[in-house]
Parts: sequence; C-alpha cells; structure tokens
Amino acid sequence: MSGRGRLALCAYAATLMAACALLPLIDGVGWLVQAVFLLGVQSGAGALARRVPLARPLTVVAQALTGLLLLTWVFARDHALLGVVPGPQTLGRLHELLLAGGEDIGKYAAPAPSTDGISLMVVGGVLVIGLTVDAMAVTFRSAAPAGLPLLALYSVAAGLADDGANWLWFLLAASGYLLLLLADGRDRLSRWGRVFGTPASRARGAGAFETGSAPVAPLRTGRRIGVLALGVALAVPAGLPALEGGLLAGMGTGKGGGDGGGGTISAVNPLVSLQDNLNQPDNREVIRYRTREKNTDQLYLRIVALDRFDGTTWKSSQRKVTGIPERLPRPLGLSGAVSTKEITTSFSAAQYYEQNWLPMPFPATDVDIDGRWRFEPAGRTVVGDQGKNTGGMRYVVDSLLVRPTAKQLADAPAAPEALRREYTRVPDDLPAVVEETAQQVTRGAANDHERAVMLQKWFSEDGGFVYDTTVESGTGINAITRFLQQKQGFCVHFSFSMAAMARTLGIPARVAVGFTPGSPRADGTMSVTTNDAHAWPELYFEGVGWTRFEPTPSRGSQPDYSLDETPDGGPSSPAEPTKSASDAPSAAPSTSNSCPPELRRLNDCEAAAPADVDTAAGSGGSGWTAPLIGLVVLLAAAVPLLPLLWRLRRTARRLGSPGRGAEDVRSRTLAAWLEVSDTAWDHGIAPDDSRTPRQTAAGIVRLGRLEGEAAAAVHRIADAVEQVLYAPRPRPVTGLADDAARVRQGLRAGAGRGVRLRALLLPRSTVRAVWAFSAGWTALMDRWRRWSEARRAALLRRPSRQRS
Amino acid sequence: MTTYDDRASLTDLTTTADRVRRSVERVIEGKPEVVRLSLTVLLAEGHLLIEDVPGVGKTMLAKALARSIDCSVRRIQFTPDLLPSDITGVSVFDQQRRDFEFKPGAIFAQIVIGDEINRASPKTQSALLESMEERQVTSDGTTYELPSPFMVVATQNPVEMEGTYPLPEAQRDRFMARVSIGYPSAEAELRMLDVHGGVSPLDDLQPAAHAHDIVKLIEAVRNVHVAEPLRRYAVELVSATRSHPDLRLGASPRATLHLLRAAKATAALAGRDYALPDDVQALVVQVLAHRLLPTAQAQLNRRTAEQVVLEILQRVPVPTADGSQKAYGADRSSSVPLYGQQPGGRRP
Repeated sequence: MSGRGRLALCAYAATLMAACALLPLIDGVGWLVQAVFLLGVQSGAGALARRVPLARPLTVVAQALTGLLLLTWVFARDHALLGVVPGPQTLGRLHELLLAGGEDIGKYAAPAPSTDGISLMVVGGVLVIGLTVDAMAVTFRSAAPAGLPLLALYSVAAGLADDGANWLWFLLAASGYLLLLLADGRDRLSRWGRVFGTPASRARGAGAFETGSAPVAPLRTGRRIGVLALGVALAVPAGLPALEGGLLAGMGTGKGGGDGGGGTISAVNPLVSLQDNLNQPDNREVIRYRTREKNTDQLYLRIVALDRFDGTTWKSSQRKVTGIPERLPRPLGLSGAVSTKEITTSFSAAQYYEQNWLPMPFPATDVDIDGRWRFEPAGRTVVGDQGKNTGGMRYVVDSLLVRPTAKQLADAPAAPEALRREYTRVPDDLPAVVEETAQQVTRGAANDHERAVMLQKWFSEDGGFVYDTTVESGTGINAITRFLQQKQGFCVHFSFSMAAMARTLGIPARVAVGFTPGSPRADGTMSVTTNDAHAWPELYFEGVGWTRFEPTPSRGSQPDYSLDETPDGGPSSPAEPTKSASDAPSAAPSTSNSCPPELRRLNDCEAAAPADVDTAAGSGGSGWTAPLIGLVVLLAAAVPLLPLLWRLRRTARRLGSPGRGAEDVRSRTLAAWLEVSDTAWDHGIAPDDSRTPRQTAAGIVRLGRLEGEAAAAVHRIADAVEQVLYAPRPRPVTGLADDAARVRQGLRAGAGRGVRLRALLLPRSTVRAVWAFSAGWTALMDRWRRWSEARRAALLRRPSRQRS
Repeated sequence: MTTYDDRASLTDLTTTADRVRRSVERVIEGKPEVVRLSLTVLLAEGHLLIEDVPGVGKTMLAKALARSIDCSVRRIQFTPDLLPSDITGVSVFDQQRRDFEFKPGAIFAQIVIGDEINRASPKTQSALLESMEERQVTSDGTTYELPSPFMVVATQNPVEMEGTYPLPEAQRDRFMARVSIGYPSAEAELRMLDVHGGVSPLDDLQPAAHAHDIVKLIEAVRNVHVAEPLRRYAVELVSATRSHPDLRLGASPRATLHLLRAAKATAALAGRDYALPDDVQALVVQVLAHRLLPTAQAQLNRRTAEQVVLEILQRVPVPTADGSQKAYGADRSSSVPLYGQQPGGRRP
C-alpha cells in the first residue's frame, strides 16, 4: 500500500476510534455502523480525488460534497432529487432534523435514544471531523495538528458523559491518534530512502529491513514511545489527588463533611463572623455580581446596620419587618436636589454562604428575589424569614448611587429631633476621652460635614493608626479607649470608634456591616470574597440621608464627598470619570461584550455569566446552534489565542486582588505598575529597567501620545509606586485598577489598528511566560545536577571506606 | 510618616533655599542648574569643586554663595608658594605668657573659598585633607573644631592649563561634586554686560539666610528617608565603576556616601521627606565623575569619565518592583557583575 493510502486509512480509523467515545451517550450502535460506512465512502472519495490528482482545496470540496450527498441519501432521501441530490427542500429537512435533535438532546439523559435528529447530529459531526482529519493529515500532509479535531470530538463526548472520561475511550482515541502519527512518521522516513534495521534485527533473519517482516528499529522505538506515553497519560492522573476519579479521590473527603467544600459561614453575630472572615486563611468567594456601572468603588454591599451603642458594642435594634414592597420607600432624608443614579446589579451567592441578611448596595430601591424575605425599613435591610438564607441565591437589586456634593453635605440643616435623639445616644459611662479626642480632632470645623471629614482623615491618615486584623475585637467599656491609645485594629474598631465619636459630636451615626466592592474578574463580573468583609460608619445628613464614610486605612475607598480637597460648590467629581469610563470602549471583557443583544436585559446576562454546568445543560435544549463543528472551530481557534488568554489572565490576577494591610497595598500597587508597563510594552513601548518610575511614566505618556485623564492615570500609578517603594509611610491609594484600565484605553486610542491588533492577539509581554518557564527550567536542571553530583560523590566515597 | 514638624521644616527648607538661590542667581546669570547644585552640596554637608576655564565666573559663584548666607567667609588664593600653615594656622611664641599660641589659619570660617586650588603645590593642597573630611584642624598635637556649617568651595582651571598641579586622588575624593560652569548664552552674556558693567553685583548682595538657619536645614536633610532598595541601587551604581573596563580607578565607598547625601538634599529641595531614584540619578555624574580615572586606552579613545558614568546609569536597573528587574532582563541579577572581572589586579 502506498504511504498516502496508509495515512488515509489511519485517519479514517483514528476518527472512528475517537468517535467511539460517543458510544455511552447514545443508545445502540446503529449510528456507528452508519458512520463507519459513510466515512469510509467519504475517505475513499478523497483518496480517488488525490489519485486524479485534483488540487488540494478541490479534494476537500469533493469530499465535503460527497459527505453532503451521503447525508442526504441516508437522512433526507424523500426530499431529494433522485434520492441523493440535495435541493432547498433537503436542506429544510436537514434543518428540521437538526432542530429536533437539539431538542432531543435537551430532553433525554444519556444514553439518549438514537432518534433521526440525534443520529444526524452525531453522524454528521463524525463526518465533519473525519473530513478535517483527512484533509489535514493526508491532503495537506500535516498529521500532528489533526489531533486537534480528534481531541475536540473526544472532549465533547467526555464532557457530556456522566462519569466523565472513561479510560477505555481515552485509550481508544489516543491510540487512533498515535496510529496516525506513526503512519505519518513512517511515510516521512520512507521518503529518505530505505530504512535499515539494527545489526541485531538483521541477524535474526534475512531482509530485516523489509517492511513486511519484523518492524525496523525507528518504528519499534516510535511504538515504544507511544505505548509509554499512553501508559503515563493513563497512570499519572490516577495518582494525582487533585483529579476527581483518581485513586486518591476518596481520601480527601470525610464522611460527614459533604464533598469537602467546607462548613457553612454562620452569621448569627455579624461581628464575630466578620473577624473570622477577615482572618480566614483561604480566601473564598461568597458572592459574585454583575453590574453595568463601570465605577464599582462605591458599591459597598451592606448586610445589616448596627444602630444601638451600649458602650461595649454596637448592636442592631429589634425592629418590625414587613413584606418586601413592590418598590422600596424613598431613602430617609434624601432630597431631590442630590444627584443620584439608579443602577441594577445581579447577584449570585455561593452555596455555602448562608447568611440571614441579604447583602446589597445602599440604598436599594427594588429587590427581586425568590422565597420568604422581609424588609426592615429603618435599616433598609432585607432579612430571611423562617430560616431563609442566602445560600446559592440569585437576586437582582436596583439601587441608587447617591452623589452628594461636599457643599450639600456642609449646608445640611439639623436632623429631625426624634432621629437625632435616637442616633446620637451614647451611654453615660462612655469614657470622657472619646468625646475629648473627638473635640480635639475636629477643632476648627465649621459644620458637621467638616467634622466627619476630619474624623475620617484622622483615622485613615493623620492619626498614625495601623490596620491589623489579628487584634482582639475587644469588649468592655474601655475597648474604644484602648483602641484610641494603641492605634491598632481593623475595620470594626475604626467604624465603631468613628461612629461613637460622631455621636458624641451630635452627628447621628450608626455602623454598617457588609462587604467592600470586591475585585473584577476577567469575564466582567465582580467577585466578593470572605476577605472583603468590612464594617463602616454611616452618618446622617438631612437632605442626603445616611452617608457612608471610610475611616479604615488601606481598605475600600473614601467617597469623593468625604475628601477635604473636593472643591466647594462644584459637582461631586465621580460624575465625570464615571461617564467617560462608561462611554469609552473597554479593553477587558465587559457586560456589553459578553452579552448578545437579545440577552441585554441584565437578568439574562447574569444567568449566562457564571459558567455553571447546570445552566449550560439547561440551555442545551434550545442551543442547537452550537453543534460539534462550532466546538471544533472553537478549540482549534483557542491555540493561536493562547497569548491573548494568558495576557487576560495576567491582567485579571494583577488587578483583581485587593488585599489588606501594608504588604498587600504594596504588592497591589506594584502589580498595577507592572500591568501598565506591560500594556505599554504590548503597544510598542519597550520597558527599560534603568529608568525610574517617573521617567517610565513620562516615556509612556510621550511615546503613547496619552492625554488628559489617561496621562494623569499613568502618573498617579507611578506616584503610588514611588510611595510604596521609597516613602517611609505610603499614602493610601485607591482606584489603581481603574487607572490601569484608563491607561490601556488611552494607549489603544493613540495606536494604529495594526498595533492594537498585535497588542490584543500577540502581546509582546507574553515573552514573560517564556522567561518564567526558562527560569524554572534552569532551576530544575540545577537542582538535578546538584542531586546527581551528590549521588555520584556518595557512590565514589563508599568503596574508599571499604578499602580503609 | 511625615509629621507636622518635619513638614514644616521641609517647607522652611524649600523657601529658604529658594531665597538663597534667587540671591545667587542675581549674580550668576543663566546657570540655574549650577546654582541649584551648589545649594544641594551645601545642604548635603559636602564640598564643591568648580572646574572651568578662566573667566566664566567660578570665583563669582563661590563668593555669591558665601555672601548670600550670613556667615563667616574666608578666601584663600592658592599660589605656588603658599604653605600649609597659611591654611591651617600656626603656633607662635607669646613672649608675655611665655607659651605658644595658636593663630588660626584661613580655614577657620564657615565658607572657605579656595581660589585656583590647583596652583598650589600638592603639599599645600594636602593641608586641606583633615579639615575637609573631619571638620577639624590638628596643629602641634591639639585639635581645633571647625565651625558649622562648613563648606569648601574650590575653583580650579583644567589641568591642561599651564602652571597647575592636578589635585591628588585623596583630595578629589573629598569633594562631593564637581561642576563646570560653561560659557553663558549670548543673551545671558549681554545681560551680564549691562548689569556688571557699572558696579559689581556682589556689592549689593544681602544675606538671604543666616548660618544657623542653614544648620537647621542640614538637620532636616539628614532626616530624609532613603529606602533600602534605593541604598542598594546607589551601591550598585558605585560598584559598577569599580569593575568597568574603561576605568583604572573606580569610586570609593565615600563616593556612595556622598551620592546618598546628595540624593537626600535633592529630595528635600523638591519638598519630599523621602528620596527617589530620580534624586540619585540627578547628581550621579557630578558626584562620581571627578573621582574616576579612565584607562590609557579609554583616554586614547577619547572616552571621558562622564560618558562612562552615563553608560553605567543606563545599565544598572532601577529597583522598581520585587523581582521585576529580573523580568526585564533575565541576566541582570544583582549578583552578576555588569562587566566581567578583569584578570589580575587592576587596582592601583
């Protein structure tokens, strides 16, 4: 048989062997028999076309046409001309069958009955894969990449099977691919001339190098390598504890502990759970949410409001709850003069996050959630009724982004007497030092807003406080005094103390417990983890309502109205950047990118966002438009997209880890800086490590032709880097991720289309991956060399000891 | 953390320094960098060497700086027949008390202008060694402290000029920075003709700061924070000069010290209480170049010490992120010398 013929046969066999992985999914083997026959004819047509010989693309077209005729003959004979020639009716029929097949797949569990629709999908899929494999391996003489379509076929089958990947099907599919490679290798080798065996094989019999007799040495070696690789591929995953189904899978999970996912996070006392959450060694995701609002800095998720201060701790008052109204009442004290923006956020809580209060932005205006939930109007919280909790809940919250100006807060009239009396109550035995300190810090302030700002600034910058989650929460009447002296604590201490001090100054105050906004993920959602748990004070200003402040250093973000440099009378600054940020195109995948137009309603986008297997399976019924061929194309396309994917992942990791403490701020700032310089590198501005951050920033602005906000963003990040690297006490910096995004947008805007495309698809900074690999490899080799030298030395020493 | 006191003194520092700078600039036209550098050296407790051809205003700069500060000033004209005792002082026998009495020399002042320092013999030049480094004078076994602040501003003509003795290496090393004034631009020269034509502008110069103000400012500069990576950066820059193939003599550890002090002063003048790599880079040529001796081969190739320092500046990575130095150039680990060590001792 000619080399090409053998190759075609092997491609045929490899496709069928990979297709065997579909066997557990479909009842009966009738479809396989059909596939064996039809694929045989299609491959034969290819062999004929190559013998003619036709041009290579024409060969592929001929094979595709043969495949179509065959499918018509088998599945739509009655709707075709002469039983084989497809017309418009035939196509209509095939379309109907495919639709029916899609519905059947959604309807039946595996193994599904082999209805006409399912048979057409499977056989058609096998024919398409067979055509691709044949074209790549035989027609275009490139056998190795033909593994990709085979892999796609196998992956689809393995992914849909209930028991995951059965080793037998893997063995079959892998053997088929190896067979193809072997045939290809043999064919290439034979083109160099005759292949001679080793002297040993020659001695065994005459004509040892004849292909008919014992296999020649290179082929034997090839087979051995193949068998060894297969053996390793089968054996190694069985020994790895991380892979489900391995030998060690049963060892990690206890009998009573479920599937090893850990216990539940109880929230009987939100404060106890807060510190526990902050100190948890594993930072677990509790909530994921998606919103159109680009600037998520202010999107604190509030769980509960603590309004009763007994001198020892802050507690939540017992209040009446009602059913959730259609539209929540207007927030207390919020007047029409204050600029607001309504945003919609879709949440998805983790299964193990069992919390009685619903985390949501403040102030919510509409809550859409299933189950028995009640509304508490004074604290504007939503609480589960009869043990209802957030575990695994999905809900949508409309809320207001309140953007008061510093002037509005400064001009706020006195709060209503009843409210003021309730929220400024402090116990009589509160140590006098609290009020004295408050008076001292706010000396010279003209109004309550200035007092609040001065308190916040004192806690976060000027007072010399240090963020430390290991400090005891502290109980007793002296807890606040102790905190004011030792100046070490975490959000609970900061928020409690600021709220208590505000009350002594006559400003109505309470403490909110919840989460900071979390960190962005590559798919545009935001991830909130246990380490994002937080507490912050809310102060009441008539005309604006309850207003958030942020006294905790290095956590969250301070609202613009609470920064004392906000120009009086001017509009609150977030309005501008928010607008520009949302108008400008975003490089990272965002809601609008990942959401098709028909899913633009946020509900549907959210449902599609977390790639749950359940959701995918549920939507499979109407998803016939993503048949096998689509998957093949996707998988094949993924290979050249690797640099892009690697880069996206790097970006997400660098910008998406808002840690706490000085060390985290440092690493986050440096990561943001690395991200900016890599982004510049991707756009053609090579990094130069002999330049200082300032010089680099100036270089990026000059060469990247950055202007306005983008240029300011580069300088801000460079300034933050200088702070964390060289200043004795770095200033707290927020919004680094947004700044990095602004720089990226600016660089994209200033670059030509070619540069933009290159930066997206083949970013220069991916060379870091190569460097990292090379460094790891060198280290490994070094270790190996040292080990082998030590071993050799030990072996050499042993006989000398014997001699002595 | 920046305390309110630090901040206040930093503000004082910038305003006072600004006053002195403006005062000096009234005399030295169109050379703001030179004036700024001399101020930096003053605040960094260093000594300044002004080297240039005759007639460009070296002495004028030294005198203007001295006049702008209300402090004691002495001027020494270095001549071939000047003796060491003329500088340090001499013990003379007091007939009445029947004892030796020490008559302080010209060095006992807060700002000492050494004019044309390279016209004196090396013996006389060496008389400055102890006073410049240790800020004291020892004569006949007795040590006399020098006042504070103390700064030697020396001028010299390039050694190619006739009748000069090049400064010994030890002497050069004691100067924090060397600066060349250079010829003024045409406009500045025209302006100078207008202003200097009638009277000497030095005559009108009023002190812009008092000596004890300067002592306070020097104290503030000492408190400027230098982060550990930055100190390492300075060490790497200086040690790179010791293994550079074009240099016969690299810079000393004293040079590292001077470099950091200069960086601190630069940072303080910019109103910061911490130094940046930019501060180190700003003065590295002026601080290092005069201490380096190019090899004969480099001299033949017309390579100057300044060029070598600039080249080193482009090769030593700035500490910007943990481990990122390696990321940009995998072979730039700090343990590997930038230039291969030369076989045999090149050290003189």
